[in-house]
Amino acid sequence: MARNGTKNKAAGGTSRKGWFGWLGDKLDQLVDWLATTPLFAFIARRILVPYWASRTPVKRLEGGPRPSVQPGDNVQRMMNLVMPLKDKSAVGRALAALAIAQNKDEIYAGLDNVGTVHFARFVIVDDNICMFSVYDGDFSNYIRDFIVTIGSVFDAVVGLVEGGESVIPSAENVEKFIDWVHDHDIYQVSDVATDILRDQEEANGDAGPGNDDLRLLPRKLILQLHVNPNVSLGSGYRAYPGYSAAQVRQQFGVGW
Amino acid sequence: MSEKFDPADVQGNILRGYRKPRVRYLMLEISDRATARRWLTAATSGTGGVPQITTESGQRWETKPDTCFNIGLTFEGLRALGTSAASLATFPTEFVQGMNKRAIKLGDAGPSAPENWDQPFNAPARLHLIASIYADDVPQLDRVQHDAVGGQQGLKLLDVRDGWCFDGDYVHFNYQDNISQPKFAEIHDRDSYADSQPMAPLGTVLLGYPTNFEGLKWRIPEPEPLGYNGSFNAFRVLEQDVVGFEEYLTAAATELLDHPKVNELLPPGAEANIQVKEGQRLSRRDALREVIAAAMCGRWRNGVPLALSPDTPNPSPDVSRTKFDYTNFDDDGAARCPYGAHIRRCNPRGGQIVQRVANHSRRLVRRGMPYGPAYVHDPAKPRDPNEPKRGLLGNFIGANLGAQFEAMSCDWLNLGLQDPRITGSNDPLLGANEPETSWFDLPLKSGAPIRLRGLPRFVTTRGGAYTFLPSMAAIRYLGSLTD
Repeated sequence: MARNGTKNKAAGGTSRKGWFGWLGDKLDQLVDWLATTPLFAFIARRILVPYWASRTPVKRLEGGPRPSVQPGDNVQRMMNLVMPLKDKSAVGRALAALAIAQNKDEIYAGLDNVGTVHFARFVIVDDNICMFSVYDGDFSNYIRDFIVTIGSVFDAVVGLVEGGESVIPSAENVEKFIDWVHDHDIYQVSDVATDILRDQEEANGDAGPGNDDLRLLPRKLILQLHVNPNVSLGSGYRAYPGYSAAQVRQQFGVGW
Repeated sequence: MSEKFDPADVQGNILRGYRKPRVRYLMLEISDRATARRWLTAATSGTGGVPQITTESGQRWETKPDTCFNIGLTFEGLRALGTSAASLATFPTEFVQGMNKRAIKLGDAGPSAPENWDQPFNAPARLHLIASIYADDVPQLDRVQHDAVGGQQGLKLLDVRDGWCFDGDYVHFNYQDNISQPKFAEIHDRDSYADSQPMAPLGTVLLGYPTNFEGLKWRIPEPEPLGYNGSFNAFRVLEQDVVGFEEYLTAAATELLDHPKVNELLPPGAEANIQVKEGQRLSRRDALREVIAAAMCGRWRNGVPLALSPDTPNPSPDVSRTKFDYTNFDDDGAARCPYGAHIRRCNPRGGQIVQRVANHSRRLVRRGMPYGPAYVHDPAKPRDPNEPKRGLLGNFIGANLGAQFEAMSCDWLNLGLQDPRITGSNDPLLGANEPETSWFDLPLKSGAPIRLRGLPRFVTTRGGAYTFLPSMAAIRYLGSLTD
C-alpha cells in the first residue's frame, strides 16, 4: 500500500519541472524498488512489524459474526473454528478424521434437531481441525442446543484439541464450553474498511467515534493480523437471500 | 433432589410472587465495603434495625408479612464487596459483562440503547446492589427504606423506582398480566391452577438442581456457599407508549375496515361477541381494535387465551387462562393464535418450533409491576405532550441468563427464528420494531393471513441490570468476607 501511495505521488509529480523534479522522481523510484528487494522485504516482515507490534500493542479482536440488531435480509451467520490438534502428526490427524466419521449419524441427528444449521464442514488444515458452519441467529443458542443434542460428538472432537480437556464433558461445562468455542471462532474481517477501525477502537476501549483516515487501515490490519493470524475475509458471500434453514425447508415442503 | 432442598435458604421473591400492590427498588452503590458487609449480615437476621431479607418457606403463609425485602447484586457489586478474583471468574460471561454490554442481544438499540438509559443505569460500574421492598402502601415503603438505607450502611442511594398495581393484575396497554408462571413441585401453589406445561424443575431458576435440559447442569459459582441456591435476574425498566399503542390499534382497525377479507377476521355482527364492559356494544371498528390487540398478545385483554377462545373474550362456558397448548393443529384456537403473538413467541409451550430441543427450556419467572398512573384511552382527547411516563418494572428470573432471558430475547422475541412463518419479524408488543420494516400476520381460516405493517416500537428500555440473587448462605458468606 505504501508503494502505491508513492507511485501515485510520482504520477502526480509529472508536472514538476527541472532538476529537482527529476531527482524527486528518481528518489520515488528508488524507494519503490527498495521495497521489492529481498533485504528490505525481510527487514519489514521480520524486524519492523514485530518491533512495531511490541511498541503498539493491539488486542486480538473477538471472533464470530459482528453483532447486529436487525437481521435485515439475512439471518445467516458463519462459524469458523480453527482448533490446533494436540497430536501434530499423521496419527493425530487420522484420529480426528475417525472422530468425525464415527459420529456421522449423530451429526445428522443433531443438525435435524437443532434446526438452525444450513451446513457444517470439518476440515483438517495443517495440524488444525477446523469446523466451518453456517447457522441462523444467535451463536450461544446454536452451540448450547448442540451440546444438548449431540454433546458427545463435541466431546470426541474437542478432546483431541489443545486445551480441550478443560471444557469437556460439554454437558457439565456448558458456560465454559460456549466461551471456549467462541474463543476459537476466528475474527471475521469486515469488507467495510471503517468496520475494522471501529472493531479495533472497541477492542482497545477507545471512546467515541474514531479516526476514519483510511491510510491508517493497512497498518491497523497488519498489526491485527500479527496477533490474529487466522481470520475470515468477509462474513461469507451469498448468491441468494439469507433465509433461515427452516424457511428454506418450509418452502420446499420438506418439513421443518 | 427435593430432600436436599432447603427453602429457607432461598430469597422469597424467586419461586413465587408476594402479590403485594406496591414495590420500590433502591439502586445502591457500595461506598464502604466493610460497613456494607455488616449491613448484609444484619439483613440475614433482621438485627440492628436493618430489614430482614424475606425467605421462601415452601408453604402457604398463615399471615402475609406486611412488607418483604430482597436484594440482588450486580457483578460490580460482588467485586465491590471484595469477592475474590478466583470466585468472580466462575460467574457466567453474560453476568460478568452486564446488561449494558449485552444490549444488542436484547434488542436494546436506537432509543433503547444503554447510552440513552436513565441514571444510574447508564453508568453500570457504580450500580452495585438493587434492593426491593414490597408493601401494601407508601408509608410502609418509606419506613422500610429508612430502616434499610437511612443511616450509615456503607451504601449510597443512587435512585429509587416505585411500581404499583393500579388495577389488580392489569398493566399498561390494558392487558391482564401475571397469569402464567413456571410451577415448581416444591412450592405449595403448584396446584392452584391447571397448566398443560410440564412442572418446572427447580433448576429453571435455582443453581444446583436439574435443569430443563436432561443431563445438563449450569455452573454453580464458587465457592459453593456463594453460588448454590442462587439465581440470576434481568431487571428491566421498560417504558410503554400507551398513547402510541392505542393510536396504532385505531389506525390498523380503520385500515382493516376496508380490507377485502375483513369479514373473515370478524364476521358481520360478530362485534356482539366482543364485549369489553358489561352491556356495552362496540362499534365494528372498536371491535376490530380488540381483535388486533388480542392477536398481538395471544390473549384478549382480559387474559382469555386465543388458543382456547379465538372468537370472543367472553366464552361461555368460561375457559382456563393457563391450561392450553399449541400442539393440536386441527384445533381452531391453536391455529388461530398467531404464531407471532407475544405470549406464543416468548413461550411456545409444546408447539412446533425450529429449535426442537428448546421447547420449555427458555422459560422464565416474571415478576413485574407497572409504574406511572393508569391510562384511560379517550379517542376524543389529543395526545398530551406532557403525558406522564408509564411502563413496567420487570424482573426476569432464571438460573441461566444466557440460556433463558437472552436466548428468548434474541432469537424468539426479536428475529422470530422459532417459526419460518414469522422469521424476520419482531414481537408486536415488545419488539425492536421500526415502522418501515415491521409486520405482523393475522391468521385467517382460509389460509393466507392479513399482514399488518408499520408497527412502531411500543416499548423502550430505559434501564436495567443483570443481578445475582444470592441465597441466605451466600449473603452471610459475602458479609463475612475480609480484606
